[in-house]
Amino acid sequence: MIRGLLSLYWWRYPNTLVYMLQSTEYQAKPYLVWFWQTKDFSRVAYRRELNHTKAARMLLWALRLGMLAQILIGLTFIYAWYYNDMLGGWQFGLGLVLAYPIVWAHLVVLPLVLGRWAIVKPKQQRAIHHSEKVFAKHKGVVLAVVGSYGKTSMKELLLTVLSGSKKVAATPANKNVAISHAHFSRTLAGDEDLVIIEYGESAPGDVARFAAVTHPTHAVITGVAPAHLDHYKTVERAADDIFSVTKFVERDNVYVNGESPFVVPYTSNGSYAVYNREGVLGWKVSDVKIEITGTKFTLSKGKRSIKLHSGLLGGHQIGPLSFAAAFAAELGMTDAQIKEGVSRTAPFEHRMQPYLMGGAWIIDDTYNGNIEGIRAGTSLLKELPATRKIYVSPGLVDQGKAGPQVHAEMGRLIADVSPDIVVLMDNSAAPDILRGLRDAGFEKEVIIEDDPLGFYVNLQAFVAAGDVVLMQNDWTDNYA
Amino acid sequence: MKKPTVAVVFGSRSTEHDISILTALASVIKPLEMSKKYNVVAVYIAKDGRWFAGSAFKNVAVFQSERLEGVLSKEQPVSLLFNNGLTLVQNGRFKRTETKVDVVFPALHGTHGEDGQVMAICEMANVPYVGCDVESSVIAMDKVLAKQTAIANDIDTPKYVSFDKRAYELSPRQWDDRINKELKYPLFVKPAHLGSSIGITRVTDKKDLANAIEVALHYDTKALVEEGVQNLVEVTLPIIGNDELRPALLEQPLLKSEDFFDFETKYMQGGKGKGKGGAKGGKQGAQGYSNLPAELPKDLYAKAEATGLSVYRALGCEGTARVDMLVDTKSKKVYFNEVNPLPGSLYAHNWSQAGLSNVNLTDRLVGLALERFAKKEAITTSFATNYLQQF
Repeated sequence: MIRGLLSLYWWRYPNTLVYMLQSTEYQAKPYLVWFWQTKDFSRVAYRRELNHTKAARMLLWALRLGMLAQILIGLTFIYAWYYNDMLGGWQFGLGLVLAYPIVWAHLVVLPLVLGRWAIVKPKQQRAIHHSEKVFAKHKGVVLAVVGSYGKTSMKELLLTVLSGSKKVAATPANKNVAISHAHFSRTLAGDEDLVIIEYGESAPGDVARFAAVTHPTHAVITGVAPAHLDHYKTVERAADDIFSVTKFVERDNVYVNGESPFVVPYTSNGSYAVYNREGVLGWKVSDVKIEITGTKFTLSKGKRSIKLHSGLLGGHQIGPLSFAAAFAAELGMTDAQIKEGVSRTAPFEHRMQPYLMGGAWIIDDTYNGNIEGIRAGTSLLKELPATRKIYVSPGLVDQGKAGPQVHAEMGRLIADVSPDIVVLMDNSAAPDILRGLRDAGFEKEVIIEDDPLGFYVNLQAFVAAGDVVLMQNDWTDNYA
Repeated sequence: MKKPTVAVVFGSRSTEHDISILTALASVIKPLEMSKKYNVVAVYIAKDGRWFAGSAFKNVAVFQSERLEGVLSKEQPVSLLFNNGLTLVQNGRFKRTETKVDVVFPALHGTHGEDGQVMAICEMANVPYVGCDVESSVIAMDKVLAKQTAIANDIDTPKYVSFDKRAYELSPRQWDDRINKELKYPLFVKPAHLGSSIGITRVTDKKDLANAIEVALHYDTKALVEEGVQNLVEVTLPIIGNDELRPALLEQPLLKSEDFFDFETKYMQGGKGKGKGGAKGGKQGAQGYSNLPAELPKDLYAKAEATGLSVYRALGCEGTARVDMLVDTKSKKVYFNEVNPLPGSLYAHNWSQAGLSNVNLTDRLVGLALERFAKKEAITTSFATNYLQQF
């Protein structure tokens, strides 16, 4: 308590505020939420440090000068009270001197909010309006990739499989909001066979807004899970938002991941083409072999049969891989081209990415952020042979009120693997995951790590040859 | 439940002071803390022999810069209180802090530590400690005593001649003649007590012998000269255990037969690159300079492993030790070379490949210390007499 209070007057406090702003991408609401959750400002910047960009430097100087000015004004009031008997001068002066950390933590947000509304937003609206015309005119297939999870992986997968034989363009990295789509539209030549656009929804209405601008001809729904529940409130509302893309695309051109339990109400009447580990669009999956180094299976339809080998890990990848292969076939690619395209697929960074460490296999799935990813990861860990199985996770973020329930479910999924060691981080998610583990009768070793960064850095000391370690999720400094 | 307190002792007045810091910080303290089972106290013995304790000494940056002197000048040295156990006492400016130690984990290399001296303190304090006891540490750290023990137990070791500094300086010519008469070149001249290959010289010509002995006796009061093994494959075997032994993997530094690893090759080049004489860098050993496991025929691998275990038992090692051996691949003979009672970094890289993580290794070593202590406690050390009543 006292330490936390003193941290407000710590000399690096302004740096901490700018670091918090930078970490929340200068967005007022998450910054303020973080600010009011913080108990000790000397312990905020733990994982990384402030990046001294021009904007950060300007904010830092503005904060320092503002704080100094407030202190000087406060002292002036005290002076006035002392020498000129100014009524209430010392109380007001002292109040100003003591309150500067709180006052400026909030005042610093004002120029950001005003700047966003007055300058950035209108500029973005113009760019989005222009992009709508570009997308509307495009003659190629425009495929919207929508879902609570697996979007970036699906986009990269399609790009890898199809780009060997087709001219394909896709939104870069995880740039998936309207302004990113607008920037992406400027890079299009107009003669692409396929344009892949990832939709990064986070609040009701987002998907419909994206679709109205990008005019998709096809859509793939990668799954629905409890994500961004701080805005959606319920997973059903998130599903409604995701499925709103179907209003913009012909029914036959919608493909849905049938392995996502939350999509069942939308697919049970056979409205849309469903892909899963059994196949898609008339293609059947057989001869599945899952290894730490990749996944093998055969895809057959009539007389056509393609033996596929992908570097992607786990049974949950068979559905998306099958879809990519079937979609490639729909676009006219030959079996050889499809086989070659699939062989080029490899794990994306921090997404079920395996690497060797001192004879142990580490599966880095730290970019995962939802319960379906947990389900896929734990399912993979269960399948793989190992001397010791170790599961590591800090839990999921942005789960809203469903957090306790989701984390308990996560605990049950982990327990189902029966790993030899479970490593959780000392945070708000741990008690619920533990509850789930206990409910499922898990009795093996559980370690609660109070230094997550130290644990990751020293992971080599923790593992030995023959171990398989699954590391899922990652929490940045603004989660605790 | 209160976690047991493990005092990790490192540094000390030794040529291997810096290696000890690395062992303690990376291979002992961090893994013990990661196990979440222990309260770990870092006990640093400065180069001048003062003992310090505190969390500041868990940070490698303290030792990497000029900061160390500043930290030492601010910290109060600790004193040791023997009260049927060991307590670290620190007299601060405002209060006296006492830390009762449940287990001592020596992470010391070389003199004033690995040689049995710290173990003797633990014995006197009656506190459990990790690793070899006083007697086996003394024998292991004296290459001559270790060879004599091996020979007494029918374990092969290269022919050698040993002498102390005073004896050699009295009649160097006589010793040189004896060496030339009894041993075949190439020879290795070694200080008897130092580890990390400090002061070792390979001699291929008679004219270089005296100089090599001078180097060895510069570092030590006792030296030995031994024959080199032909068709050499050098191997090393880390072992843990008290009664039941568990070997790790036989590891083979990648060297030509005429090469050996000196201090610079082992530590200053990060273990990468070449041994003296130009051997190519290794392919997969932990520090990049060894084959792990050693590339030996199955029968020879088994023989070397058995020899290592025999040496461990013959010297009375407990907890952990690493046995170095020399293999003549033509004659298929395995020679004992030396024992390291506290291997650098605990040879955690090897254990990890053998299926025991660094965290589990340190945890097991603490467990072995406690098991040995419990056995020792069961032995009666007092005997009631009426001897004093007659006075």
